[in-house]
Amino acid sequence: MNEILTQEKSIYIQIKEMIENDILRDILLEEERVPSTNELAKLYAINPATAAKGVNLLVDEGILYKKRGIGMFVAQGAKSQITAKRRKHFYDDYVKSLMAEAVSLGITKEELIEMIRESKEDGE
Amino acid sequence: MELTGKEIRKSYGKKEVLCGIDLTLEEHKIYGLIGRNGAGKTTLLSVLTAQSPLTSGSVTLDGEPVWENKKSLSHLCFAREISQMTGSGIAAVKAKDYLKVARTFCPHWDQEMADHLISQFHLDVKKRISKLSKGMVSMLTIIVGLASKADITILDEPTSGLDVIAREKFYQLLMEEYTETNRTFVISTHIIEEAEDIFEDVIILDEGKILRNENTQELLERSFHVSGLADEVDAACAGLTVYHEETIGRSKGVTVVLENGQQIAPGHEVKIQKLNLQKLFVALCEKDEEA
Repeated sequence: MNEILTQEKSIYIQIKEMIENDILRDILLEEERVPSTNELAKLYAINPATAAKGVNLLVDEGILYKKRGIGMFVAQGAKSQITAKRRKHFYDDYVKSLMAEAVSLGITKEELIEMIRESKEDGE
Repeated sequence: MELTGKEIRKSYGKKEVLCGIDLTLEEHKIYGLIGRNGAGKTTLLSVLTAQSPLTSGSVTLDGEPVWENKKSLSHLCFAREISQMTGSGIAAVKAKDYLKVARTFCPHWDQEMADHLISQFHLDVKKRISKLSKGMVSMLTIIVGLASKADITILDEPTSGLDVIAREKFYQLLMEEYTETNRTFVISTHIIEEAEDIFEDVIILDEGKILRNENTQELLERSFHVSGLADEVDAACAGLTVYHEETIGRSKGVTVVLENGQQIAPGHEVKIQKLNLQKLFVALCEKDEEA
């Protein structure tokens, strides 16, 4: 009852995930330049320091790399790296919460598996 | 450039409005100043820019006092809210004449930028201030602040009365100016939700004292809303300072800000959620009503 309604992720996490999503969807290609922190700051009206925090996390993970004086670029193999990382977190991010909700509604594992089997591939 | 206030006190008669404030504004940062009505925001901003004398304490720019110091003042701009009340004198002035006066006070004034902003905001500069809409008056404040090109620019309630499109436009213009220059900005606002991503640091003023002055994101990362069965919430938050308790039946919700080393006790069935700046601000400053 006392939960608050706005449950937001930190902005820098959102920036990081947005860049990852663009790489997964081939909107940003490997060896392509990603928007600078100043460009992100202007586009989303956020502080450049916050944008930089998100971008730097991707640099630390090796998904982006810096070319001195030119900018940030998508690393070779970034797409497969993001896929591997997200697959690893799939259980924690999706299956756990799915199970928790199913248990609280009294949906059995068998019923759940049946639902997944019957569901369409494209998630419609 | 760095603007430093030390032990700032300001009284109007017997009423102390600023009760010993220490504050440093660093180069190339955007600060958000938030506080309730009457918290002392405008008073603080006007003493920092030497528009109003201090009762005690000091304000210095790179070590030099600011009061009646032409050199220091040339680096500061305080774009204050303009009163439209007839009889305030300013209300009868035409917008273009107001800008002309502002220009004479700002040695680094950028007329090209001012003209550009006037056309972007569709501001009718031939009108008297009393005849402008509230939003248009806010635009005047914004134009003065941005076109002043002052190293340290303070905008008092720049977005009040602006429609949502103009507000977004303002924040974009601000970010453009900020990323292309080395200027420092201080923005006071009541519309916190849309500005929290802009503020690198947030200064929360309450009853003439600084309640918080730190990196916005870091503060939010340490702030949580904890809810669930009242006993569970109490157990999870044992030893922590809790703000803004709300109970409905057996359910309870509280706000906590974790200081170094503190944690919410694990093993209790509670829901832990992040807060946005507006919710945190309400939790920290609402105590007055309850008392």
